Amino acid sequence: MSIVIFKNKLVNIFDIYHIYRSQAEMTNQASPVEEQEKLLEEALNVVKVQAFQMKRCLDKSKLMDALKHASTMLGELRTSLLSPKSYYELYMAITDELRHLELYLLEEFQKGRKVADLYELVQYAGNIVPRLYLLITVGLVYIKTNTNLRRDLLKDLVEMCRGVQHPLRGLFLRNYLLQCTRNILPDTTEAPNENEGTVRDAIDFVLMNFAEMNKLWVRMQHQGHSRDKERRERERSELRILVGTNLVRLSQLESVGVEDYRRLVLPGILEQVVSCRDAIAQEYLMECIIQVFPDEFHLANLQPFLKSCAELQPGVNIKNIIIALIERLAAYSQRNEGNVNLSVVLEDGKEQEVQLFEVFSDQVAAITQSRTDMPSEDMLSLQLALLKLAQRCHPDKLSYVDRVLAHTDRICADIQQTSGKDHIEHNTAVFKELMKILKLPADHYKNILTLIKLQNYAPLIKRLNQPGRLMIAVHLVNDVLESDTTVSVPEDVDAVLSMVDVLVKDQSDQVEESITEDFVEEQGLMARLIHHFKSESADQQYQILSAARKALQSGGAKRIQHTFPPIVFHAYQLAFTYKELKDQDEMWEKKCQKIFQFCHQTISMLVKAELAELPLRLYLQGALAIGEIGFANHETIAYEYLSQAFSLYEDEISDSKAQLAAITLIIATFEQINCFGAENAEPMRTQCALAASKLLKKPDQSRAVALCAHLFWKGAKDGKQWPLNEASRALDCLKKAARVAQQCMDGGIQAQLLAELLGRYVLLRERGNDALTTNLIQAIIQKIREELANLDQSEEVEQVTKHFHNTLQHLQSRLDCPDPDSLGYEGLQLA
Amino acid sequence: MSFFGFGQTADIEIVFDDADKRKVAEVKTDDGKKEKLLLYYDGETVSGRVNVTLRKPGSKLEHQGIKVELIGQIELYYDRGNHHEFISLVKELARPGDLLQHTSYPFEFANVEKPYEVYTGANVRLRYFLRATIVRRLTDIVKEVDIAVHTLCSYPDVLNSIKMEVGIEDCLHIEFEYNKSKYHLKDVIVGKIYFLLVRIKIKHMEISIIKRETTGSGPHVFTENETVAKYEIMDGAPVRGESIPIRVFLAGYDLTPTMRDINNKFSVRYYLNLVLMDTEDRRYFKQQEVTLWRKSDKSRLPLHNPHHPQNLTNPTPQRQLSASSEDNSVRTVSPNAPEILQRSVSPPMPSDKQNGPAQMEKEESDPLPNKMSKTHIDSEPDILESPENDSSTKEPENGTESSLNPENIVKIVEAEKPLISEKPQVVKKPKQQAEKVMVAEKPLLAEKPLLAEKPQLAEKPTLADNETSPSQ
Repeated sequence: MSIVIFKNKLVNIFDIYHIYRSQAEMTNQASPVEEQEKLLEEALNVVKVQAFQMKRCLDKSKLMDALKHASTMLGELRTSLLSPKSYYELYMAITDELRHLELYLLEEFQKGRKVADLYELVQYAGNIVPRLYLLITVGLVYIKTNTNLRRDLLKDLVEMCRGVQHPLRGLFLRNYLLQCTRNILPDTTEAPNENEGTVRDAIDFVLMNFAEMNKLWVRMQHQGHSRDKERRERERSELRILVGTNLVRLSQLESVGVEDYRRLVLPGILEQVVSCRDAIAQEYLMECIIQVFPDEFHLANLQPFLKSCAELQPGVNIKNIIIALIERLAAYSQRNEGNVNLSVVLEDGKEQEVQLFEVFSDQVAAITQSRTDMPSEDMLSLQLALLKLAQRCHPDKLSYVDRVLAHTDRICADIQQTSGKDHIEHNTAVFKELMKILKLPADHYKNILTLIKLQNYAPLIKRLNQPGRLMIAVHLVNDVLESDTTVSVPEDVDAVLSMVDVLVKDQSDQVEESITEDFVEEQGLMARLIHHFKSESADQQYQILSAARKALQSGGAKRIQHTFPPIVFHAYQLAFTYKELKDQDEMWEKKCQKIFQFCHQTISMLVKAELAELPLRLYLQGALAIGEIGFANHETIAYEYLSQAFSLYEDEISDSKAQLAAITLIIATFEQINCFGAENAEPMRTQCALAASKLLKKPDQSRAVALCAHLFWKGAKDGKQWPLNEASRALDCLKKAARVAQQCMDGGIQAQLLAELLGRYVLLRERGNDALTTNLIQAIIQKIREELANLDQSEEVEQVTKHFHNTLQHLQSRLDCPDPDSLGYEGLQLA
Repeated sequence: MSFFGFGQTADIEIVFDDADKRKVAEVKTDDGKKEKLLLYYDGETVSGRVNVTLRKPGSKLEHQGIKVELIGQIELYYDRGNHHEFISLVKELARPGDLLQHTSYPFEFANVEKPYEVYTGANVRLRYFLRATIVRRLTDIVKEVDIAVHTLCSYPDVLNSIKMEVGIEDCLHIEFEYNKSKYHLKDVIVGKIYFLLVRIKIKHMEISIIKRETTGSGPHVFTENETVAKYEIMDGAPVRGESIPIRVFLAGYDLTPTMRDINNKFSVRYYLNLVLMDTEDRRYFKQQEVTLWRKSDKSRLPLHNPHHPQNLTNPTPQRQLSASSEDNSVRTVSPNAPEILQRSVSPPMPSDKQNGPAQMEKEESDPLPNKMSKTHIDSEPDILESPENDSSTKEPENGTESSLNPENIVKIVEAEKPLISEKPQVVKKPKQQAEKVMVAEKPLLAEKPLLAEKPQLAEKPTLADNETSPSQ
């Protein structure tokens, strides 16, 4: 009887039903910010007042009145006017207050003061939103005080919540349900009493709540005007965590093992995710799954998960999902040092151990195949992720990396086919991804030799267009230089050079022809690269060099002028190596000849490329090396080198400065080489003297002729005079130089030339040429003094004067303490 | 009682046996107040004593006899003077003579048949009372005491459910189910609504319980509708495939058992009115009569633990197509078309009494729209030839339904169209077959909205990370 009266009262209590909602509520439009603040404030005020009343009634143990106030307070959650953010604030304020009610009831129930039919009583509330909040609150108290009700009440609550189909209100209601049941979900595999429920019931409960929340969340997308799409998506993104919390809750069920996850949890989630056909939801939820569940679960369920990925909406960025998973598992595998037990159930039901990579590789292939709408760059991103996986988890399996590269190559081929272009264009998204794929192994291994072992690496580079290839080539070469890798096998040299083919020769798809600063820099890198082609074995080194030259010779003049010099220098060095090995290698002289022949060819290629100064110098350098090594027949070869240089001088060098520099070098080289007999020396020095006297400018002439004096008089070596010394011819040269100098119009230059000449006199005299008498020296000094006296002060004059005085000082010191081994300067008047 | 201030007079008191043990029931009086009366059931003996107390002890009271009557009567308010007594039992307590002292007369109406329940309505009242009379020459001394009577029923536990598919063509198709068609007064209505097609923007849905009291007969019928309860069962707009649970506890509402044709004077019937409201405040509704009955309290209470929630839902299994539901449910629908959901065209009035059938009666006077006849011509030439074949006239085997479906509402006729136009033969086939055809076609209808409602594919989502979103 009393119950009935109670209930009658309640019906009146809850009689706050507004049949016709206000007009404002219908419009459901987003209000501007101030409007929102105002609405929220009003609602919060109501909450404050009602909560106060509710608590006062509870203090007086007037439960029915308290429920009435609670219901009125909850009525505020019926609004359609608040934005998700404001609604959230309101929700928080209200659920905070509901806690008081919950605690009160809990205390009463625990004291044994149960309220009869309370669960039924609260259901008399006329409006569904307040009713369900109260129902959940009361249900929670029931469950906490009598676990026997747990299973049925959980089912009931989650089912009854279906009544709220408004997305925002429904999401928050179900979130309240989820929060309330947080700590009371059954989490045992075996229940002592079936009414308490097992973890299965908990899974069912959360999965159902999840499915419903997701549906509501997805529904938001399709409500309202399409012009509000952006705002809606923003709001959805604000609310997504509410949906994701379901998955968190599932992951917190401790008694869910891998098996339960495989059979119940994951299929339940995936089914909902796939079937909701909403890109935003799918992307977020898949990432959620990856984040919230443990690695072991993922490992055991890779296939179903990845299979579902293939079924997602076209708009879903699958790549991100898979990459997230790959990275997570790769990290896990690394933590476990690769000891990841992964087994898959084959079609015949047997389990088989497989490698992490294999699974991903297969599934990614399947996904890229099935999702034809997937952007190419995303396919490449996936390959990149696979590549990372292979490198991190299977460092020993180069074949995996190669497999990824092969796959990438195929994708690129498709891209080219569809785009109709021969290469992957620079600065496209695809290009950037491919670049990353190519750089990853390079940076990972830091060893170009490993890259060579990857059969698909070099072909993949060729998919790029020229600027792209250039970038990667420079990157590779820099890597070699930084890591100081040595390439010591001729085949590797070939492979390396073919990998950086773009630096080696002109490309068919090359656009610009001009030689830029960048080009020079790149070739400089190539030159440095060549220095890393080194072998311990001399014979192999020779092969390396010829391989390199063979590869590089197609590069054209603009490249070989950078790349050949290091080859030539290496070859010279190799010749020295053979000289050192002469005790071990009987063939060393032959080999040296061969080397110089090789160098000769190399240099003449430079000549053919219409270069002059460079080959000239290389010849001279070669001549020096030959002279020093002194193998059989070296004089002829040295002469050949020198004469080649000389003919280059004659035929190719026309610029006067270059001529002077060249003839200076030639003279200097000749002066350094001691291997020539009279037969070879005579034509050489007469030619030089002739060439010197033919120089166009008088000062050049003077200097060059003066230098020629060294051709006829070399200093003593090992206490022996050079047999071909001719004192008078040396003197003639100097005299001629002095004469030419005096023909110069500019007194300053005259003085300078004379001052230089004085130096040479002194030098040659000190080298033992007695034809250069003190009188001659005295005369020059006199002459210089005269010239200097006539000159106005200037910086140049000062320099000349200084030079002159230094020489004089030297002479003075020799006068003061004569060198016993050389000719003195008796009678020289310096004052 | 004494006109002259002298002479003997007496007070009468009626005392019932077991008055202290007998249950009491609240009964509304005609002035709207509630009164607690002793409660009797059909066939129960009404017994007690009539105590006559003399005002002036010592002097005698002359009388023409003392009697006690048990009367059951129906009062129609518009016909105040005329009460219809359906029971009138008399017991003589004393023959004419003199009373000299306080006297107590026992009386007993053994096993009285009390066929109806007490009732106080808007236009009618049914009551039982005892009347003790001391007949005198001038003025009788009379005492009346009302008693309450409840009629108990029992129905088998397994009762037929109400399951029905209703809709407005291309607009809204729903299927609803109430677990029973007969509910006792402390019962719970459990059911669900399944949305087959939703193309209107529904704002919310409610169930109301409407009490319809009809009095009189023939041309003088008075009908009074009262919304006894309003109960929101859904908030927001569902989509196709959604199923919404219904659970309404009846105990809290002021309800009586259904009374049909009580003594040819009046009826009280109850209807469940399922109302959907769209965002433009249009109401779509479907009324369904349910029978309410009073169950004996004895069978209920001992089983019920008040600290154990009753009537929890069993999570709904996936919806079965209606074909399989025939076995245990009465299909009150005419078999060849989904039932029509009514729509009130004008915005609803704020008064409860205005909604529902009352409004429809207004619309009945509208002329038959051309549109309707046209649809029939276009789609079903056969029918045009013989107007009797018109499907709307064929329907009304169950009277309640047809009365709720006035043919002149455009929407209703349209709703019938697809089936007729698509399968003209169906009409001629035996019912059972027709039903099957309908089942087979249903998915076809249901599929349409799928295309129309298919969410526009979202473009690439912008991932906004870590925005100030509600956290746990």
